[in-house]
Amino acid sequence: MVDTGVKTDIRSAMWKPGGWQSLLTFIILALAWIVGFSSRLFAVIRFESIIHEFDPWFNYRSTHYMVVNGFYNFLNWFDDRAWYPLGRIVGGTVYPGLMLTSGTIHWFLSILNIPVHIRDICVFLAPIFSGLTALSVFLFTREIWNSGAGLFAACFIAIVPGYISRSVAGSYDNEGIAIFALMFTYFLWIKSVKTGSLFWSMLTAASYFYMVSAWGGYVFIINLIPLHVFTLLIMGRYSRRIYIAYSTFYIVGLLMSMQVPFVGFNPITTSEHMASAGVFALINAYAILKYVQSFLTKAEFRYFFFLAATGAAGVIFLTVVGLTWAGIIHPWSGRFYSLWDTGYAKIHIPIIASVSEHQPTTWVSFFFDLHILICAFPVGVWYCIKHVNDERVFVVLYAIFASYFAGVMVRLMLTLTPIVCVLAAIAFSKTFEAYLKDETPKSSTKESGDSLENKNDKLYDKVGKTKKVKEEKPKDQEGVGMNIKSVIVIALLMILMLFAVHCTWVTSSAYSSPSIVLASYNQDGSRTILDDFREAYYWLRQNTHEKARVMSWWDYGYQIAGMGNRTTLVDNNTWNNSHIALVGKAMSSNETSAYKIMRMLDVDYVLVIFGGVIGYSGDDINKFLWMVRIAEGEHPKEIRESDYFTPQGEFRVDSAGSQTLLNCLMYKLSYFRFGELQLDLRSPAGFDRTRGVEIGNKNFKLTHLEEAYTTEHWLVRIYRVLDLENRIQLTSPNKPIPKSKRKSHRRTGKKKIGHIKNKPKVVKGKKSKSKVK
Amino acid sequence: MESFYKVPFLVLECPNLKLKRPTWLHMPSAMFIYALVIGSYFLVTGGIIYDVIVEPPSIGSTTDERGNSKPVAFMPYRVNGQYIMEGLASSFLFTLGGLGFVILDQTNKPSMPKLNRILMLCVGFVAILVSFFMCRVFMRMKLP
Repeated sequence: MVDTGVKTDIRSAMWKPGGWQSLLTFIILALAWIVGFSSRLFAVIRFESIIHEFDPWFNYRSTHYMVVNGFYNFLNWFDDRAWYPLGRIVGGTVYPGLMLTSGTIHWFLSILNIPVHIRDICVFLAPIFSGLTALSVFLFTREIWNSGAGLFAACFIAIVPGYISRSVAGSYDNEGIAIFALMFTYFLWIKSVKTGSLFWSMLTAASYFYMVSAWGGYVFIINLIPLHVFTLLIMGRYSRRIYIAYSTFYIVGLLMSMQVPFVGFNPITTSEHMASAGVFALINAYAILKYVQSFLTKAEFRYFFFLAATGAAGVIFLTVVGLTWAGIIHPWSGRFYSLWDTGYAKIHIPIIASVSEHQPTTWVSFFFDLHILICAFPVGVWYCIKHVNDERVFVVLYAIFASYFAGVMVRLMLTLTPIVCVLAAIAFSKTFEAYLKDETPKSSTKESGDSLENKNDKLYDKVGKTKKVKEEKPKDQEGVGMNIKSVIVIALLMILMLFAVHCTWVTSSAYSSPSIVLASYNQDGSRTILDDFREAYYWLRQNTHEKARVMSWWDYGYQIAGMGNRTTLVDNNTWNNSHIALVGKAMSSNETSAYKIMRMLDVDYVLVIFGGVIGYSGDDINKFLWMVRIAEGEHPKEIRESDYFTPQGEFRVDSAGSQTLLNCLMYKLSYFRFGELQLDLRSPAGFDRTRGVEIGNKNFKLTHLEEAYTTEHWLVRIYRVLDLENRIQLTSPNKPIPKSKRKSHRRTGKKKIGHIKNKPKVVKGKKSKSKVK
Repeated sequence: MESFYKVPFLVLECPNLKLKRPTWLHMPSAMFIYALVIGSYFLVTGGIIYDVIVEPPSIGSTTDERGNSKPVAFMPYRVNGQYIMEGLASSFLFTLGGLGFVILDQTNKPSMPKLNRILMLCVGFVAILVSFFMCRVFMRMKLP
């Protein structure tokens, strides 16, 4: 921070007698860090220091494993506790950056003799990294525009809900550190485009390596940077700087990214990376052309250019197509393909479409996550297009693509958020620059972040002053009048204040629930904690055999492994579609055929989530249609989605529901004994609060399973899969058991060769009744 | 090099072609690009992709207690669902807010009569405020 301040100071040395600017910059960034950190702690304060949701449990488990067993054992870890018959090679199928980061912090602290449990580091990692993200967004924006806008951007990113949603304390996921790596890589890239120095592009590659090791979203970088270079080529903005920056970044980044075990040879064999290779070839061809141009005449060059350009483009294109066709380059994976052809996932890959964060975005999510910034965002694009230069082209491209992707998937709102903050910061800073000018800041009663931004406006407006403020000021500026200007400034500050209020509110109400501990509020405002998930998982941990296999829907796989420490069949790493489809098939077929599948898969316990008692909407019955769809994708003969609907095409669990649904395993496991339960006096027995109906099939018995455990609020229900029964008892006594016994005994004893199957036998002293049937 | 080029023309005769760059093909202006950007931005923030994939009705309808069906513009209490019209309405507001900022910036051009300047300023200011508060109202409707 100090040296940034020094640098700006040199620029504005005539204005600033001292280091005030650097001091203010430092203070504002520190405050942004603190505010960002503390507003992410809602979950910890309300509940406890706990890992949230699903994926973080796996990350925590593997971090724990790494800390205990060392890094190399972690890389070689074969987890036989997941994907039961198959197992999972964890070291080769995980992005290790997250575990390494927290492991390093843990190691460092333990060197200093500060004993911290690894869980606490995992919980607080994302909030700490949000401060680093703010820092790198500040640096990025300062390269793009000026440091005033940079401070705005840092303050925005510190509290914007779109980013908080993935980085609250306890949400120990790849995205928490990946957004930092993303923005830092982009900052370094801009820096290296600006300077054209080898040093910065090497740093870019190193930062890119960190990003690759942290998150699969690195593909965004490796496509956006080539796109930037390509656009610059088309716009005729080619320069030596770009050549140096890109070719260094590409080669070094490529080599480094291949060092991550999970990525391996992907960068040279998959289609997602081919754009970067193509642009690398193109920029080299362009550079050669430029070089040849220097000693050819103009007419010669034109011929040469024509030939070379078409030749090069054709060769590159044909190579890529040919290699793809030959199978050396893999085509786009489904996840990426669904970004372009938006209907693809819905039709072909139900498992991708089933995840709620892969749903397309509605307008509310945009406004909810970004609030006023969504209005200011196009203004920033406008300024960038108006005063375009090499690096602003990058910002515009980033803005366009990120907003498109955010529209396709709710989850990718995360990559849109930083650029929105940057551009909105530019817009606000330009506006304040125009409207604050010489005056002293008017409102100093705002909350800390705003008032500091406000003070800062006074400072950076000197930097941008050279352009237009100066010319217009002497003649006409007083015409609008100070009063109107100050009204506008105050109104904008109010809006920013409302933005801060909104962010805090959203953080506290929407994004701070750990989702494994639920809280409900009574009418008098007191709070009840529903701790059913952990109750059930601890039951599993304490009361089942250590090698017991638990079948559940894949959402809960990581939690069962992390908290219950039991073997699971499927989990959130959805790498094997057919295995998941098998579990889905078991859940959606009737008990007898489900039992066959469960015997086949060696299942000991079945765990279902049932929210009908407390009205929890994320339970298995609501997810059930996805199980059916995924099962149908693999077993279209046995499972048909239409069987589970009423003839009117409705999905309902009351007595009008379809019989297939009312007799399938998932229904039975969810509603077993529920028909006897009357929740309150107004509703009938067996009234499902989540769906708001009385269930259709109340009195049934389970033949192949028995209830093992049901938590306090019935949220988690665990069933034990019974062993194979003794041979089926005959209901009618027409075939006496002793006889069959003796028969088999006699047969083995005598070993008759020519035995006729249904030959009537006459045994002395017995009636030959068995032949009647 | 020259002899190498000549090889195909020993058998072929060069047609007298006059290739011109098509007149419409030139570097698009910055504002044209911006118009494209903001147009697509309008559509994306309005959830057009959601509309394509999920195919919701343009406006919904509900039945009141007398059995009459009433049109409903907003899908209430659902953050991850929308009707087409509400998406477009709110993305219109987003864009309006953006334009408000642009207008505010334009008022600072030196060559502008005073009356115009004040008018523009009012328009831009009102646009920002209206869009901002309307969006808040809309969001309140959607949130449970």
